[in-house]
Amino acid sequence: MPISLALTSMFQVPWNDYVGNLAEGLVRTLAYTVASFIGATLLGLVLALMRLNPLRIVRVPAGIYTEIFKNVPLLAIIFLTYFGLPSVGIKFNVFVAGVLSLVLFYAAYLSETFRAAISGVHSGQNEAAHALGLSRGTTFSHVVLPQALRLALPGTNTMFVDLIKSTSLLVTISAAELMTEAQLIASETFRALEVYLVIAAVYFVVCYPVSQCLLWLERSIHAGVPLSLGRRRRIAMARTLLEAGA
Amino acid sequence: MTQLTLNPAPERALSNETLAVKISKLRKSFDGRLVLGGIDLDVPRGKIVSIIGQSGGGKTTLMRCVNLLERPEDGVIEIGGETIFANGAVTCRDLAKLRQRVGMVFQRFNLFPHLTAVENVVLAQMHAAAIDEREAVEKAVRLLTRVGLARRALAYPERMSGGEQQRAAIARALALGPTVLLFDEPTSALDPESTGEVLRVMRQLASDGMTMILVTHELPFAREVSDWVVFIDGGRIIEQGPAADVLDRPKEARTLAYVAKYAVAG
Repeated sequence: MPISLALTSMFQVPWNDYVGNLAEGLVRTLAYTVASFIGATLLGLVLALMRLNPLRIVRVPAGIYTEIFKNVPLLAIIFLTYFGLPSVGIKFNVFVAGVLSLVLFYAAYLSETFRAAISGVHSGQNEAAHALGLSRGTTFSHVVLPQALRLALPGTNTMFVDLIKSTSLLVTISAAELMTEAQLIASETFRALEVYLVIAAVYFVVCYPVSQCLLWLERSIHAGVPLSLGRRRRIAMARTLLEAGA
Repeated sequence: MTQLTLNPAPERALSNETLAVKISKLRKSFDGRLVLGGIDLDVPRGKIVSIIGQSGGGKTTLMRCVNLLERPEDGVIEIGGETIFANGAVTCRDLAKLRQRVGMVFQRFNLFPHLTAVENVVLAQMHAAAIDEREAVEKAVRLLTRVGLARRALAYPERMSGGEQQRAAIARALALGPTVLLFDEPTSALDPESTGEVLRVMRQLASDGMTMILVTHELPFAREVSDWVVFIDGGRIIEQGPAADVLDRPKEARTLAYVAKYAVAG
């Protein structure tokens, strides 16, 4: 059969020998993703709050930051932090440089999402919270933030999956993540088509379930499923009391 | 907060007992436009005072000054005998504590949409008044039952009708045991059926002796529940007195025009 012949001749890389490399690369990719996402979320939230501040002197720098990093390619940021900064005496190891680049870049995008979400919470909510005697901190953490999170979730989820895929750009600084491993395997076996097809499949197998899980999370929150243990406990308490009363 | 006054003068102690809210010479303007031009108003404990008047006449602003959601420029406000605002400055030590003593119900309910009705009533108890969780939930269930929402206690606001949302908002405002309840046009965003539900709850609160200040255009309801009606126009009190006097036999031409208009409208 010529087709199966073509297929077997296409897949000739001894993958068993490379399982270790792939696993290592995958772990590294996930490490970059998680570290960068945490950093970008925190920085993005700070930037969003700064941009919502009534003081110009706080608002403007955050605005400038966002505009700069939104309009510069991620690859340029990676090269600047890893190859550029050492010439002025700032040296990072490859992991720090990679994470830093991703944080700087994605924080700019996330700050836009967060800013829109926070200002999307109705002003009557703040007022109702203050009228109940809640402090500014509690109002933010218990009234504004949970609602903003719901609004920010779709955009943030898209960014998260995008971030997983963008770690592949770190191949340019040999970050030992999945794409770097792929390049290594390809150069050893000279079978670029097969190797990159497999690697693309690995990215898909990681990204697809993640994005489906995040969609599920979005839907559950939208459907009113309480996620925190405290909320579950209070609702259960209320349910018991109501059933006892009925 | 009364324990903060170490040596209350005798007349102060008297007003402590009899007046829930005392407002004197209250002034407020927005961008140079005078909204309140020296308001004097006493609200005795257990009484219901309705503030009526044209939109933009300052009645909502006056009410929002009572819990300092709006800062007046001048005048004095006392809640339960304690001066909370005097001569352009907030004088109470703890704004959050003050707000626990003044419950507020909004025109658009402003329930927290990410929480169920019962959690809406629990939140401030736990985070503003540091009430124990179990006690807070028990109180919330009790209050929701009181406003006829036991069956809807676990619903989210978006799944509730306007009338149910407003009753949940009343339960939330009652949760901290306020001295006085403020209602800012509580029924103007509601259909007639929902309006009926909310008015029933307010009537019940009135018969339980709750002190209430309400801004409303519902003149028949105002006549029925209020002990005192205040007509405000152009930032000044034009006329005030017992509900029947102001609404049925107004002395001032402006009051008469207003009452005639809203008697026809609804």
